[in-house]
Amino acid sequence: MRDVIIFVEHSGGQTRKVTFELVAEARRLADALGGKAHALVAGAGSAALAQQLQNHPLDTIFHTEDADVDKFLLDPVVDYLEAAAKITGPAVILVPNTMLGRDVAGRIAARLDAGLASDVTELRVENGRVQCIAPKLQGSTITTCAFKDGDYGVVTVRPNAFSAQPQATGAQLVALEKPSGKTYGMAVESDVEEATGEIGLEEAAVVVSGGRGLGGPEPFETLLKPLAEALGGAVGASRAAADAGWVPYSLQIGQTGKIVSPQLYLAVGISGAIQHKVGMQTAGTIVAINRDGTVPIGETADLLVVGDLFQIIPALTTLVQQAKTAHT
Amino acid sequence: MKIVVTVKLVPDPNAVRRIDPSTKRLVRTGETALNPFDEYAIEAALQLKERLGADTTVTIFTMAPENMKESLRKALAMGADDAVMLSDPALAGSDVSVTSYAMAQALKKTGFDVILSGALSDDGNTGGVPGALAEYLGVPGLTNVRKIEEIGDGRIKVQRETDSGYQVVSGPLPALVTVTMAVGEPRYASLKGIMGAKKKAISTLSAADCGIDRPAGSDGAKMEVVAIAAPKAREKAKVVEAADGPSGAQAIFDFLRERKLV
Ligand SMILES: Cc1cc2nc3c(=O)[nH]c(=O)nc-3n(C[C@H](O)[C@H](O)[C@H](O)COP(=O)(O)OP(=O)(O)OC[C@H]3O[C@@H](n4cnc5c(N)ncnc54)[C@H](O)[C@@H]3O)c2cc1C
Ligand SMILES: Nc1ncnc2c1ncn2[C@@H]1O[C@H](COP(=O)(O)O)[C@@H](O)[C@H]1O
Repeated sequence: MRDVIIFVEHSGGQTRKVTFELVAEARRLADALGGKAHALVAGAGSAALAQQLQNHPLDTIFHTEDADVDKFLLDPVVDYLEAAAKITGPAVILVPNTMLGRDVAGRIAARLDAGLASDVTELRVENGRVQCIAPKLQGSTITTCAFKDGDYGVVTVRPNAFSAQPQATGAQLVALEKPSGKTYGMAVESDVEEATGEIGLEEAAVVVSGGRGLGGPEPFETLLKPLAEALGGAVGASRAAADAGWVPYSLQIGQTGKIVSPQLYLAVGISGAIQHKVGMQTAGTIVAINRDGTVPIGETADLLVVGDLFQIIPALTTLVQQAKTAHT
Repeated sequence: MKIVVTVKLVPDPNAVRRIDPSTKRLVRTGETALNPFDEYAIEAALQLKERLGADTTVTIFTMAPENMKESLRKALAMGADDAVMLSDPALAGSDVSVTSYAMAQALKKTGFDVILSGALSDDGNTGGVPGALAEYLGVPGLTNVRKIEEIGDGRIKVQRETDSGYQVVSGPLPALVTVTMAVGEPRYASLKGIMGAKKKAISTLSAADCGIDRPAGSDGAKMEVVAIAAPKAREKAKVVEAADGPSGAQAIFDFLRERKLV
């Protein structure tokens, strides 16, 4: 394994911050291994995105506009990733740890008979071998795993774990041919967007999350959204809030939701169950607002303010807004 | 229709977890339980059986040491028809890759129209197995399904959750489906179910029975654990009792200022 390939997740050519984080990490790894860094972009909008990626430190950008990628579930994209991997030869494949990324990773690992490391937050090269560092067992243990000898290794990488470093290195664009002899059966009939936020939750620098303490859907709109906007962040939620139907499940943070690692996480009216903490405990700074001073979120937070969220949030939003206008 | 539910047997989710520093494997203390996420898959399977009628069967499948056999009774008591275990000392220490390959070999043997799995395991927590399993079986994998809209006549149509909402996807069976908690709370076993479960069959397959012919267990694993450590401890939280809204807000604002976050 000397080369590194990143899987670029995007929607119609629009990609997210994690892609550029993966590119930077791929470059660093490839340099340490003495190999090259490549990217695969597939589906509508790929040609334009591939050009955009030329401003980042890659050697090759494989791309295809094949419409099957968006029409059928997973298989076409995995076929293209496999095609890219066959061209580069032995490689580490980096995939973002998102819902799609996890699906791609499991499938390509089996396809290439490769090891799979999940939710990795740090990568190292030791004696020419790639090591993956990841929190396990609900964050109670940090494990370091190494790929044994093998041609390929697959890694899902937690968004916000690495920083992006744009730099054009004259990457070569390579259009991939349609793999022959493939037929696809699982058709995507419709794709419905439910989340309202502009910024992807996993890559937001600030996440303002609400729980059962909000008491209904309205405070998410009237209290959390303005605060998140003032802080330049996104709104998240606990499972309890999603289960109650106050917000879509796509906003849920935790073991069965999204794992986020923002600079700042605000837990508002959230008690801090272990399944919730799994999704946010690696945030840079954690501030909790709860009327109960004994809640488990207090064990994870840097600051716990004991008080009524309905009083505190509007006042905080005003303070943040004032600070912003004073600045500009 | 033959439904197979993959169920991982995990340490009691409420017990304290730790990894043995010498073997670098999970210490299995306390009772063994069904992976909570797989209980949702069992629930989804039983709902399908109710919907599709008598010639639909639900088989529980696990890869686990044979001494965990009795832990499967709970799944049978919920209403599954029978269970199959893939048990072999040679499989100990398998990673995602070997586990998925071995499970695929066994499931080819048992046969299926649809496989239902949990989205992730409470102890492994990688969610990598179902995708790899589908690939080794050569069937489509429908992940994060919140609703099975239609199933029958060799086809399936589902709603699956995505990062930003949901998708409607349809295609041919056989297929593998992972379900989310939105399929509905797992049912409790009735007294009759518990009594009946005692008589239901749990059969066992060895690696050789399934034609597992490549290195398995830790020998076949593509990854090895080289180190384990405790996470960096966070400093204890500063706790501020807010007399009123403005003072609480000020405390947060000052704290964020100090850390250059506003
Ligand atoms: C298998 C499994 C998986 C799970 N996965 C997840 C997951 O991914 N994510 C997740 O979040 N949960 C998950 N859960 C659920 C989890 O166990 C908790 O039930 C859930 O996180 C609780 O949500 P909450 O903190 O919003 O609600 P609660 O625990 O009810 O907490 C509400 C908090 O609001 C405070 N409050 C109320 N009113 C006010 C007020 N006016 N001002 C200030 N504070 C107030 C209360 O003091 C309380 O602490 C999972 C559970 C299981 C079994
Ligand atoms: N040893 C196993 N036996 C049966 N099913 C398993 C096993 N390991 C994983 N699975 C299935 O794969 C899902 C995801 O597990 P994981 O990839 O380990 O997070 C679980 O919910 C199970 O349905």
